[in-house]
Amino acid sequence: MKMYIRGTGNISPQKTFGDVPFLEEPVLYNGIRLTCIEPDYKDIIDPKMIRRMSRIIRMGVAAANACLQEAAIPVPDAIITGTAYGCLQDTDLFLTKMVEQKEELLTPTAFIQSTHNTIGAQIGLLLKSHNYNNAFVHRGFSFESALLDGIMLLMENDASNVLVGAIDEITDNSHAILKRFGLYRTAAVSNMDLYSTVSRGTIAGEGATFFLLAKEPSSHDYAQLNGLATFYKPKDHAETEQHIVNFLATHSVHISDIDLVIIGRNGNAKDDAVYDRLTQTIFNTSILANYKNLCGEYPTAAAFALWLAAGIIKNGIVPAVLNVSNTTGKTMKKILIHNHYQDTHHSLLLVSAC
Amino acid sequence: MDKLMSDLKTQIIAQLNMQDVKPEDIGDDQPLFVDGLGLDSIDALELIVLLQQHYKIKLSNAEDGPKVFQSVRTIAEYITAHQNQAA
Repeated sequence: MKMYIRGTGNISPQKTFGDVPFLEEPVLYNGIRLTCIEPDYKDIIDPKMIRRMSRIIRMGVAAANACLQEAAIPVPDAIITGTAYGCLQDTDLFLTKMVEQKEELLTPTAFIQSTHNTIGAQIGLLLKSHNYNNAFVHRGFSFESALLDGIMLLMENDASNVLVGAIDEITDNSHAILKRFGLYRTAAVSNMDLYSTVSRGTIAGEGATFFLLAKEPSSHDYAQLNGLATFYKPKDHAETEQHIVNFLATHSVHISDIDLVIIGRNGNAKDDAVYDRLTQTIFNTSILANYKNLCGEYPTAAAFALWLAAGIIKNGIVPAVLNVSNTTGKTMKKILIHNHYQDTHHSLLLVSAC
Repeated sequence: MDKLMSDLKTQIIAQLNMQDVKPEDIGDDQPLFVDGLGLDSIDALELIVLLQQHYKIKLSNAEDGPKVFQSVRTIAEYITAHQNQAA
């Protein structure tokens, strides 16, 4: 399988949007959640449209717009989005008004904009595109499902290029609720100390990340996407390892061929037990990079990892913030991403140089 | 009437989240839809809710909508007429 990442657009808690150096100035946080750094939308979205868009919709539309501009594709053959939580701010607003106003006099905008396919729909409306438009809401597989749909459209010749994106936001209410489930830390932590203070819970994050995937190569592609696989609730570490071995074998790659493995370590002792084991077995000689201290944990965080992998290959450098040794003078040609969300949703992505 | 129109402009801006518009930017007789302020059908629903929330007035006939929501002045006239009726 070969398809090409021609463009990306990424709004994240790091300086990743627009013409900025590739993670040269890491943003440090000391708290319990990481918040996206947003651009000035007035230059990107029609002001008449902005007033109805909540924060996550603006982030999604702006990231998609930047991605299409970079790829020089005005209207893609398909728009596919993945989100686990959807437009939480609007959902929050709508439900709060419903309770406060006893289910009467509800304004339509928050309700209309609260659906999970709003961002894909807004992108389609702005582009005046009647092409394929779909949204996937599968918890920790939302981005991977959107990506799989895009891959299938390209492989079956139903599209020559697809816009695939992942969007998730964290709000005060959702953070409070998820924190009660034990997902997040209760005490402030520096994101750069996340891995040296492993304990219960991780640091919450969010992001809007888009990719333009094309069937044919061009002179300005980031990288090739060679493989995607997901597996759900492995019963033990041996099963997780077996899935990784099978994935590499399917793509005729040996672990020693992989220049860098990007893993989803998040500072939560329970989640990181997966990597405590993998780093002793299949990844024991691999060069590893963590990324969730940069973007935080959220169900579609694998999109940030894919953006990172594509950027490393295109720029030919591993950013210093990843704190990866043994890469001096080494060209990163093949990168494996292993991500998991709460040890239930595991995904594997294989990215290589063009 | 002037006070009512001034209040309406502030309420419309808040209800429709028009962050870059100030009350003085909206003319009393300026068309609200399409070429004027550029409102659309979703905004019309928001204006109906606004009338109910702030003035306890229900637009009884949907066909009256285009006439009532033509401008800030026509909305104010509709409110005045219906508040007087209620009194």
